[in-house]
Amino acid sequence: MIRTQTRIVIAALLFLTFSAAGSRAQMAANREADTAAIKQSVASFEDTWNSHDAHAVAMRYVEDGDFSSVKAEPSHGRKELEDHYSTIFTTFLKNAHTTDTVRSIRFLAPDLASVDIDWLVTDPAAPGGVLRKGLLTWIMSKRGGQWMIVIYHEQAF
Amino acid sequence: MFSIRAKSVFALFLLSAFAGPVCWAQMPAKMDADSAAIKQCVAAWEDAWNRHDAHATATAYVEDGDFSSTTGVPSHGWKDLEAHYNEIFTTFLKDAHRTDTVRNIRFLTPDIAAVDIDWQMTGAKTRDGKDIPVRKGLLDWVVTRQKNGQWMITIYHESAF
Repeated sequence: MIRTQTRIVIAALLFLTFSAAGSRAQMAANREADTAAIKQSVASFEDTWNSHDAHAVAMRYVEDGDFSSVKAEPSHGRKELEDHYSTIFTTFLKNAHTTDTVRSIRFLAPDLASVDIDWLVTDPAAPGGVLRKGLLTWIMSKRGGQWMIVIYHEQAF
Repeated sequence: MFSIRAKSVFALFLLSAFAGPVCWAQMPAKMDADSAAIKQCVAAWEDAWNRHDAHATATAYVEDGDFSSTTGVPSHGWKDLEAHYNEIFTTFLKDAHRTDTVRNIRFLTPDIAAVDIDWQMTGAKTRDGKDIPVRKGLLDWVVTRQKNGQWMITIYHESAF
């Protein structure tokens, strides 16, 4: 007969083994769901950008979000961001269309991720139709269940 | 007379009332110290780069660090990173010297920060050997505090303009 103490130890080990495996499976499932949600958030940003809706684009950022242009000119917070997008959508990007394709996502914490996005801006009037292409590098944070832009950098090449 | 329980509750209230402001007062001091440590991390990396020490430059990253060049070409992990730096230090950047100036630091958590750095480079050449008088742009890094307290590069992006 196995002693009661031994049985308790075996039960505890089995519990720990299964709960660790369950927790890992749960983490993987959460990560997959967050990856899909981040891609959805990038797609929503692209849609609002392509409808040239400065307010909606600015609202894709957290309230104190940071933007930096291809020349590293910064905009900080929703008011400045909306002003920035209003300017570009009514001037040199008024006929532009962007295509944003997520290249990679690196989670820094469960609710914080770095996202690299291949970026192509077209305009029928541009030589070859291509106005800009390059890489967007974002830091995104999950706020109230929604992934939002904390920091936006863009590089053109 | 107050009961012992009432006295204990009052003592706990006083403790929490004073601990809060002390904690808030410590946060800016801690952030100042962390900002200084991050600037030191950038300066040490700049120094390793200017010595053209590929190993030291690569090991300023975390072991699975990510690099992306001005044209979006990636390198991942110490082995790839060291190979990348070896290549540039023996070819088109073999006479190059860089200056890196921290523009701003944004703490994402107490142990994770985004760092913007203005960079300028002299002595660089194009890949086909033509001189570039001055290259400049912006680095955007994510740095993380390690268990030993050291800040290291987790993600490195660079743009040139």
